[in-house]
Amino acid sequence: MTLSGSRPLIEMRDVRKSFGTYEVLKGISLSVNDGSVVCIIGPSGSGKSTVLRCINGLIPINSGTIRVGDFAVETLKSDKALIPLRHQVSMVFQQYNLFPHRTVMQNLTMAPIQVLGEDPRKVRDRAAALLAKVRLTGKENAYPGELSGGQQQRVAIARALAMEPRVILFDEVTAALDPEMVSEVLGVVRDLARDGMTCVLVTHEMRFAEEVADEVFFTDRGVIVEHGPPATLFKSPSDPRLKDFLDKVL
Amino acid sequence: MSLDFSWLSDSLYQRWLLTGIGTTLLMSLLGILLMMVFGIIGAIFLHFRTPVLGTITTILVELFRNTPPLVQLFFLYFMLSSLGLSLTDPATGRSIPLFSGFTCAVLSLGLYNGALAVEIIRSGLIAVPAQTVEGARSLGYTRFQTFRHVELPIGLRLSMPAMTNNVVSLIKTSSQAALVAVADIMYGATQIMVETFRNLEVMLLIWLLYVVIASLAVWILRRITILFRIPGYGVDRP
Ligand SMILES: Nc1ncnc2c1ncn2[C@@H]1O[C@H](COP(=O)(O)OP(=O)(O)OP(=O)(O)O)[C@@H](O)[C@H]1O
Ligand SMILES: [Mg+2]
Repeated sequence: MTLSGSRPLIEMRDVRKSFGTYEVLKGISLSVNDGSVVCIIGPSGSGKSTVLRCINGLIPINSGTIRVGDFAVETLKSDKALIPLRHQVSMVFQQYNLFPHRTVMQNLTMAPIQVLGEDPRKVRDRAAALLAKVRLTGKENAYPGELSGGQQQRVAIARALAMEPRVILFDEVTAALDPEMVSEVLGVVRDLARDGMTCVLVTHEMRFAEEVADEVFFTDRGVIVEHGPPATLFKSPSDPRLKDFLDKVL
Repeated sequence: MSLDFSWLSDSLYQRWLLTGIGTTLLMSLLGILLMMVFGIIGAIFLHFRTPVLGTITTILVELFRNTPPLVQLFFLYFMLSSLGLSLTDPATGRSIPLFSGFTCAVLSLGLYNGALAVEIIRSGLIAVPAQTVEGARSLGYTRFQTFRHVELPIGLRLSMPAMTNNVVSLIKTSSQAALVAVADIMYGATQIMVETFRNLEVMLLIWLLYVVIASLAVWILRRITILFRIPGYGVDRP
């Protein structure tokens, strides 16, 4: 944790979430500083995706508090109330979740125009610049189904950036990709991290996490078992569950 | 047995047939529009699980789907005419019934095939991947915006094959309008048969006409399907 007095951009305190009678999150607390890169690792089903979905209000929580910037996420109930939050918090998914019936350019411009009500011309200029940034200039009029997985995921990242968010949540964004496409997507994420974009990444790419993360959180069965800078967490884990996990994945 | 088509050269019969074709086409077209309106509205109520309206929709869909369309047409026709609603024709000053046979036929087609359309559109909506919906939600789309900009456009495309069958069914069902004195193809045919007794020949022609109209409809819907095909998406390949 930084010692500066500025408060974190994201703060989750003792968040609990159940699906039916099954408690998925059993008191999660974590904070993310502005401009930092945080990675969440952990076994399948431990609640990593659920944590991300709670942060941008995609699923309501049972108890605890989530603050993002000035928003108390758990108090935002209506779709309208959630719009300003989603403006600040973008999300990129494992399956890209693009709009298949719209072109690459439209995928980027739709939400800023239809949700944020921005000027279409300005949005299009911004989108063109973002496509250049993810190295997809020339694909403006292609449909997602005509692109490779790696290209689709880069479109999804550009779409998230088009909202001009303060933080981007990445949920295993390379897990559905063929190995040769993983690096092109990680390259884009690395660029973002270097540019100072606040990133929360759920990932199974341990080496990447070690390289880009300022802090790593290890979740298991709905709790954060251990967290710390990657050097400590990966090199000298203290919890036996984390040791076990790292033995399996490294 | 020899077939005699000489009656086809009679200009009166030609006129009956042409009027009939025009009426059938207009009735089907209006029926299709109404069917889509009912289909989409019903699918919205079911999709959003609208408390009272959703239940009413389910009941109406079951009611119209599971009863003979002819019974529905007669019911509409006799019920609405017994209500005695009428308009005054501004030109002639005569009182004309508000619900003519034509209106009833269009309404009944819209309701019967609309009930089927509700289910068809709903299946299309269900087939829209949950991830695509979540993508929209994460970008701040409200539930209704997500429906309007993402689920409905994709769902309608996915429902095109089943909807094409439904349109053909509507065109075929429209032939029962003759029974409430709508001058459609069937009506013209019946009149020609009464005058010429050439039942077999007339029916052969009518059969052919329906084949042509239905094929035309299928062709048009295929063009629409192709026009709106999502490139690279695993559906609706021609
Ligand atoms: N909408 C839901 N309804 C019911 N159960 C759910 C729902 N979403 C997640 N779960 C359950 O919650 C648990 C945690 O899910 P989550 O997706 O957060 O895990 P994860 O850590 O992201 O796993 P993975 O690495 O496989 O993606 C799982 O057991 C899952 O089955
Ligand atoms: Mg997950």
